[in-house]
Amino acid sequence: MSDPTTIAVDQFLAHPPAKVWRALTDSDLLARWLMPNDFAPVPGHRFTFRTAARPGQGFDGVVHCEVLELDPPRRLSWAWRGGPLDTVVTWTLAPEGRGTRLLLEHSGFDPDDPVQRRTFTLLDGGWRSHVWRRLEALLDDSQR
Amino acid sequence: MSDVFAALANPTRRELLRLLRETGEQPVQRLADHFDMRRPSLSEHLKVLKDAGLVVEQPVGRQRLYSLCPEPLREVADWLSPYERFWRARLADLRDVLDELPDE
Repeated sequence: MSDPTTIAVDQFLAHPPAKVWRALTDSDLLARWLMPNDFAPVPGHRFTFRTAARPGQGFDGVVHCEVLELDPPRRLSWAWRGGPLDTVVTWTLAPEGRGTRLLLEHSGFDPDDPVQRRTFTLLDGGWRSHVWRRLEALLDDSQR
Repeated sequence: MSDVFAALANPTRRELLRLLRETGEQPVQRLADHFDMRRPSLSEHLKVLKDAGLVVEQPVGRQRLYSLCPEPLREVADWLSPYERFWRARLADLRDVLDELPDE
């Protein structure tokens, strides 16, 4: 986690990019691993994901999305807006051996949000490059 | 939690935390050797860290020993972790779907 405003998770999948792409862009398949939706693989298409509401967090259970980028079978990007979030989810697929390296980036956690703004001050100075790594090492140590 | 963010938003205080992490419990004199600043300034930084719950101070004889208290740092790291956990769980489900899905 080098940038506290972005979540990045990558994972190797033992399936070719075309198949992974299908699971990312077929509405029924998306529903099986993510959430029920009315996605269509069309740039500019607006769609929603629906899940349980969390009233305490100001979230009514509907994620409003829009297809921002569609470059099969390499890159897919959605606007992801729900509750306090106005963010972007980007999927990047790269062939690796017989499988696919899938990178998820969820970016745009808003520094103007009071809670998030405090976190953003951590980006000062050496925070981004060094301190976060040390912090992670420290957290690892303290969990033992 | 805002105390923790404020405490971390300073290079001297981050360096103090790093020193305490790498060298363990230290008297203030030993910490002062690493910095080109007057003792009262360093003590002020240590006080900010102490108030944020990031270090604890223990008098031993005539010395005061400082040590790291990492628990509040976990709150910082946990800020985005609900979202990260969400995506890790979804990616695990994606892998299951792919494993069940016939190749075309």
